[in-house]
Amino acid sequence: MTNARTARQERERKAAELRAAAARKQARQRSILVTVAALAVLAIAVGVFAIVKTAQQEQAAASGGTPGNFTTGNGVIVGNTAAPVTLVAYEDFQCPACRNFEETNKSQLDKWIADGTVKVEYRPISFLDSASKNQYSSRALNMVAAVVNVAPDKFKAVHDKLYANQPEEQTAGPSNEELIQLAVSVGVSEDSIADAVNKNSYSGWVKTVTETASKDGVNSTPTLRVNGKTLDTYDPASIKAAVDAAVKAAASTPTTTSS
Amino acid sequence: MSVGTSLPARLRGMDRRWISTAARLAIGGIFIYAGSTKITDLATTVRSVRAYDLLPESMVTIVGNGLPVLELGLAILVLAGLGTRLAAIVSAPLFLAFLIGVGSAWARGLSISCGCFGTGGFTPNPVPGYVREIVLDTVLLAASLWLIRFPASRFSLDGVLGLHLHHHPDQHPDQHPDQHDDHHGTAAPQHRAATTRNRSSQETLR
Repeated sequence: MTNARTARQERERKAAELRAAAARKQARQRSILVTVAALAVLAIAVGVFAIVKTAQQEQAAASGGTPGNFTTGNGVIVGNTAAPVTLVAYEDFQCPACRNFEETNKSQLDKWIADGTVKVEYRPISFLDSASKNQYSSRALNMVAAVVNVAPDKFKAVHDKLYANQPEEQTAGPSNEELIQLAVSVGVSEDSIADAVNKNSYSGWVKTVTETASKDGVNSTPTLRVNGKTLDTYDPASIKAAVDAAVKAAASTPTTTSS
Repeated sequence: MSVGTSLPARLRGMDRRWISTAARLAIGGIFIYAGSTKITDLATTVRSVRAYDLLPESMVTIVGNGLPVLELGLAILVLAGLGTRLAAIVSAPLFLAFLIGVGSAWARGLSISCGCFGTGGFTPNPVPGYVREIVLDTVLLAASLWLIRFPASRFSLDGVLGLHLHHHPDQHPDQHPDQHDDHHGTAAPQHRAATTRNRSSQETLR
């Protein structure tokens, strides 16, 4: 009796284990199928999104016109082009640190530019639209591109006025009309830029110069380079030290034109 | 692997499944935040990836544009608990890659913020950020490894659909007849929320 019961229990136990094993195998197969399908969908979504967005960004950067009168480095030179020292300054018009750089260095920059020691190549870029409620960063640069296109000699005046009137981060900056009037106030003719500003005509160029700067290792603004050497800080003393060193180096290695 | 030696094995199945749920919430929560802040400013994300100076330019745009979707997709899978183990198999090397990226940026003396949550690029004092990212990524890597080992969790679609793998063949009741109850402590809750067919198999198992 006991033996028969044990044997039957044993048989039942084995059968149950077989069924359970089969169920586990089925569950495993289903599990693999579902998870592989879910991940395949995700992988395709990631791939399609990445490719489409990359193409869109390239298209957006290639769209619209290229403003004239910029250097090959997408900059505007202020000062004597024969000056021995070149200070390249990457700036964003929404960037408070750039405004700080401009304010604290204005007197020595103006002096160097006046006496022909230094020429400044301003390379304005725009990566701070996220810090503005109305894409001020890119719209301001678009306006500057429109100004340089028709009146490059007005760049510095517009540039300085934009920093003097820089909107706070996370607020709405001046409207397109206000940007046009800002340029008009320093002597740019309204008709020459109004269309380009209102239609954001240089938005593709704005993206292109920003990406180019990023590819050139610019991860922040202001990024300053004195004769090609990137500075870590932008306080007047450091900049003066770098400029003095560059002047000395330029004097000790005469260029072909001066020899 | 054997019962009673490692800490995870000593924990009752019930506790493990709650830990797995917590791991899912941590990974999914971070991915939702990281992915959504990145996807709303893709240009910045691309530049952040570029700032690490680790990938060739052709890869930079693909990674910068693809990563936010991958993060959001993994977040959905992990939070829903669907394909938990496979999602963790993807997220673990991802966190490892983030660790390598941040570690190498630090080692090379780059002054960049990680770009983990949308705001990449330069930062004058990057070290606190590097430390924070390394700690965060290590925790999330550990959570991913935990989910690879113990994918079964509370409140998961895997559980509802009966998709949990039986991942401890070495703890089969045949081999540990004296730990029958222990085994059920692990397996029974997995099956409790499972389909009828699995529940019946569970009953026959008893």
